[in-house]
Formats: sequence, C-alpha cells, structure tokens
Amino acid sequence: MKITYPHMGSLNMILKTMFEGIGVEVIEPPPTTNKTLSLGVRNSHEFACLPFKINVGNFIEALDKGADTIIMLGGIGPCRFGYYGHVQKEILKDLGYNFNMIIIDPPHGRLIDFLKELSSYFPNVDGKTALKSFLFAVKKMLAADKLEKFLLKHRAHEDRRGITTKIYEEYMKKLDKAQNGKEVDKIVADAMKKIKENANVYRKVQLRVALVGEIYMLLEPFTNMDVSKALNELGVEVTKTEYLSDYLINSAFKLPQRLEFKKNGKGYLERDIGGHGLNTVANTIKYAKLNYDGVIHILPFTCTPEIVAQGIIAKISRDYNIPVMSLVYDENTGQAGYQTRLEAFVDLLYRRRVNAV
Amino acid sequence: MSKTVGIPKGLLYYDFYPMWKTFFEGVGAKVVVSQDTNKKILDEGVKNCVEDACLPVKTYVGHVINLKEKDVDYIFIPRIVSVERKKYLCSKFLGLPDFIKSLIGDLPPIIDMEINMYRDDTSIKKEAAKVGRMFEKNKRQALKAYFNALEEQKKFERLLKRGFTPIEAIKIWEGNRLTRANKNYEIKLAVLAHSYDIMDEYISMGIINKLRDMGAEIFTMEMLETDVILEGASMLSKDMFWSYERDILGAGLHFLKQKNVDGVIMVSAFGCGPNSMTEELLERMYKRDKEMPFMLLTIDEHSGEAGIMTRLEAFIDLLKFKKRAVCV
Repeated sequence: MKITYPHMGSLNMILKTMFEGIGVEVIEPPPTTNKTLSLGVRNSHEFACLPFKINVGNFIEALDKGADTIIMLGGIGPCRFGYYGHVQKEILKDLGYNFNMIIIDPPHGRLIDFLKELSSYFPNVDGKTALKSFLFAVKKMLAADKLEKFLLKHRAHEDRRGITTKIYEEYMKKLDKAQNGKEVDKIVADAMKKIKENANVYRKVQLRVALVGEIYMLLEPFTNMDVSKALNELGVEVTKTEYLSDYLINSAFKLPQRLEFKKNGKGYLERDIGGHGLNTVANTIKYAKLNYDGVIHILPFTCTPEIVAQGIIAKISRDYNIPVMSLVYDENTGQAGYQTRLEAFVDLLYRRRVNAV
Repeated sequence: MSKTVGIPKGLLYYDFYPMWKTFFEGVGAKVVVSQDTNKKILDEGVKNCVEDACLPVKTYVGHVINLKEKDVDYIFIPRIVSVERKKYLCSKFLGLPDFIKSLIGDLPPIIDMEINMYRDDTSIKKEAAKVGRMFEKNKRQALKAYFNALEEQKKFERLLKRGFTPIEAIKIWEGNRLTRANKNYEIKLAVLAHSYDIMDEYISMGIINKLRDMGAEIFTMEMLETDVILEGASMLSKDMFWSYERDILGAGLHFLKQKNVDGVIMVSAFGCGPNSMTEELLERMYKRDKEMPFMLLTIDEHSGEAGIMTRLEAFIDLLKFKKRAVCV
C-alpha cells in the first residue's frame, strides 16, 4: 500500500510522521504549484471551491508518482466538504486511475472514532506503535503551529526583509526530519531564539490584524498567496485564527469550543452553519473586542458558509467600528491585485490609528 | 385589527407556502406575500446583498425589502436547519435570519422560527407555541394551527404528485381553477433544480413554460413519489446529507435508470455550492451511460433570455430529432 493525502498546511509532515511510524509507505504529494492548480481546475466543476480543485491536483500528481491509496476526510454536512472525497473519486476514476480511496467519515466528529476507523484499515499494526507514532505526529503539529504563531508576530519586526522567513523555513525542514520529541523541542527553542534575534525593528504605531475565515484557505500559503507574509512585510503583526491543532482539539473536545463560539457569536449568528462560518463570525467579534486594528476575512469563491459570514461580519464591522476586508480567492486570482488591496487596507488602518492618537 | 405577517416570495416559499399561510392564519395573523419578482426587487436584492451570494438569496433579499416597504408588522424568515431526520439544508438556510438581519437595517420584527428535524420534530411544536404567544394564542391554539398547517401541506403535496409544479399547486390550493393543458406533448423532459431556481418566473425566465410551449411534458423532482427518489439516491456510494440535493440526485438517477423521459435538463444558480457537487456527479454518470441526453443550464442575474432560449431550443430539437430517428 502506497498512501497519499491532500496538502493542507503542515499536514504533510504530520501524516508522513504518523504513517511512517507504523511502517506504511507514504508517497508525498508534490508541493502545490501552478501546475497542480491547473490540473485540478481542468478536472473539476467550475463552482467547486479552490480547496477541492487543489485536492484534485494533489491527488493526480501523487497518483502519477505511484501512490495507490488516497486518504481523505469526509463529513455529514452541512458544508459540502463532506462529499468531496466521493466526487473526487469519480473524477479520478474517469481519468483512468486505478486506486483505492479511504474516506473517513467522522460519525460524530470525535477524534477517538476517527482513530478507530483509521486503524481498521491497518490491521497488522499493533495499538502501541500506532499510538506512539500518532502522539509524535501530534507533537510535531503542535510544534509547527507554535512556531508559526511566533513567526507571524515577529516577522513584522524583522531587521532585513525575508530573513525570518528564511530562518523559519530552515527550521521547518529540520522539524520535518526530527526523529524524537527531544529534537522537536530543541528545534522549536532554537528557531524562536534565532527569529527573535533577527527581529528588532519596532514602530511607534504597531498594527495588529486578525486573519479569520475558512480553515484550508488560512492554512495553505499557496492558495492565499501567503497573505500573512505580505502583511508581516508591511509591518503588521498577524494573528491567524485557525490552526491544524485547533482543528484537532476541536474535533476531540467539541463542546468547549462550540460554546465559546456560540457565546461570542451571540446576537449575530445563533448557530453553527457548517464549515467555518460560525468561527469567522465569532472570531471577528473576539478580535474586535480585543481592539485589533482590523480583520481580514479569507474565503474561497462559492463557499456558502463563508458568504453568510461575510454578510454578517460587515455588520460587526459597523457595530464595533473595526475595518473588515474580505478576500475571495479562486484560480484566477492575481497576486498584484491582492497586494494592492492589502497595502490600501494597511494604509487605512495606519491612518485610523494616527488620527485616533 | 389582526397583525400582518409578511412572507417573502423566495427560497422555500415554493415548498412550504400553504403550510406557513395556514399556520399564521391559524394563530390569528393576516398573511401578506411580497410581489412577484420584478426588476426592482432583483436590483434591490443585488444591491443589498453580498456579491458572491447565489441568485435565489439575492432575490430573497429583494423580497424582504419589498415587505419592509409594505409596512408589515412581522416578517417571517425561518431558520430551516433540517426538514427530515439526519439531513441538512444548505448552509445559507441555517443562517438565513441572521444573514438578512445583518444586511438590511430597520426591519420590522423577524419571526425566525427554527425548523429542525435532524433528530426529531418535537422542537417544531415548541417553536410553534412560541410564535403563537407572539399573537397572544395559548399553546393549544398554536398547536391546532400547526396541525392544520400540516394537513394543508399534505393537500398541496398531493397536487404536486399529480403533476403540477409547485407554483401551479399553490394557485390551485388557493382556490384558483387550473387544469393541465391536455396538449399532445411530443417529448418528455425532466427538469432537475431547486424549486427556487425554476419556479420564480422572473429569475428563471419562465423556463418551464417555454419548454412546454416547445412541446415538452415536464417532470420535476417534486412530482416524484418519495420512494422513487430514495431508490434513485440509493445508487450513490455515499448518502447525500442535504435533503434537496438528495432529491435532485435521486430523481436524476431514477430517470437515468428507468429511461422514462427523453432528456434531462439540470438548472442551477451561478455559484451554487451544493449544486456543484450534484451536477458533477450527475453529469459524469449520464456521460458514462451515454444514452440519455443531459444539459446543464446556469442562471444568474445577468442571464440573457436570448441565450437561454437558444440553448433550450437546440436541446429540444436534438431530443425531437433523436426520438423521430428512433421511431423510423
């Protein structure tokens, strides 16, 4: 069995660690590029969202590299993501690929069910080894998320343009190769120290922006054109509201997070509407209350939950007097246009602060 | 004077109007419906809505504004989460009242009754009682209105099964005389779509009647019995978790298997998320089967009538040609 899966932030590193830990061969999907995108676009429905199309591209490239088994998550709605795997399977079948697709439907979105079902596909792996490699993969995930959070704050202060990104990428590569927990801890500590040493530019007016929106778009720098880097390089500290670890923790302990979001969203969105619609609304309110300078909403074209959220956060923006900008991405999105919009937005935030002072 | 409740003529109006009207009249309200969609309603909707929202949602926004201008006491914008066990509706229905309230200012009070049968239907009775209290009716009166509403809905649904489209069935249910034209239709055609995409004459440019004028007898998913749809849907590798998409897929697969129509047209609104999944699957399955002609038609606020007509005519010509060729 040669396993592959779609890209999503640091998911590649995590799944690779996990599967190789239990002795299953992994074919990494090649890094997402414009070629991946065009393969996906050519073979997907026009109104499928960007994540769907890129998944298809990832799968095609991985199958071409020799993978024979695809692992994909499912779902029970109301977001259409729950049906993606099944549609993607039909697309790949029509393209003539011979493969097996494992679509894991979380019955109640609980982590334990997920692991149970996943392990049923690998009957020869003993529980202890599986648990060990799972926990190590989780450790790497938490490390990656911690490092990224640190980066998004300190890159805004870097001494030389691009220096922190370089350090970050270097240590992420090390993290990918790390073999045990001790190594992971050391890599994170070293990376943070080195980033800090290279970030000493402090401004009189320090802007802070929260990135809210659909999780895949927030996690995949290729699809969002590395919006956090662009903001950092304009001198803005960024807080990203979705991480893989949040996703995992929320799946494992669903209730507390839902309660928090429900509390935050009250008066604006009264229930979960699927996808990350409620998260977007609740997080916008949360960061407005924390006096952030602005909120940037990231969503893929035709994403229904995020469109509902988009209408609602426009009202939050008025009520809380916080600038909100939505960036809608599809395969035709041009980098220059978005860079211009980001610069204009940051300009606006800056002037608001200067005038307020 | 009894209070007025405005019902926007959009989205699930075409599926549940008889029920809603009966219920509100049962609790002593007067029901006011927004005007048929026209240019002004659509323009207002487009102007006040989020750019990327789908056409039926934009239209719905226009209808709410139309009701606001009519000075109704309440506007009914239900939060329809689920209409059957273990099935959802598209995300937009789950957040509809919140969304509309955020888009349009100074609205009269919204009745955002939650309809959620995902687990069971007991919550609806509670919601019915809550709405009853708004009109100073006790729980017993509210429940009576609710059960009457269910009865009327059944009458309406029986009309659908007799081959009337939802909009025709609503007219008959309201007491208008309407007979099905006993025309000799040359071909049979299935039109698969959400009711709100094809029942609104303005946004769909009257596709149904145009097709009938061209000599096609029309079948929609509402006209099929539930078990037929479920049987069709059972051919899927994964149970579809949205009710109406399940209906579209189920009906589509039924027609594909039974070959009891000459062709199938699927109509969807520009950017419809759920439809992007069902269309993709249906199109692939029809292509693999190779026998049944299948056409996709996408409508949005910029659709030109001429373009739509040309495509419909071409498709109907193809079906007629194919049929005659087979006869000869």
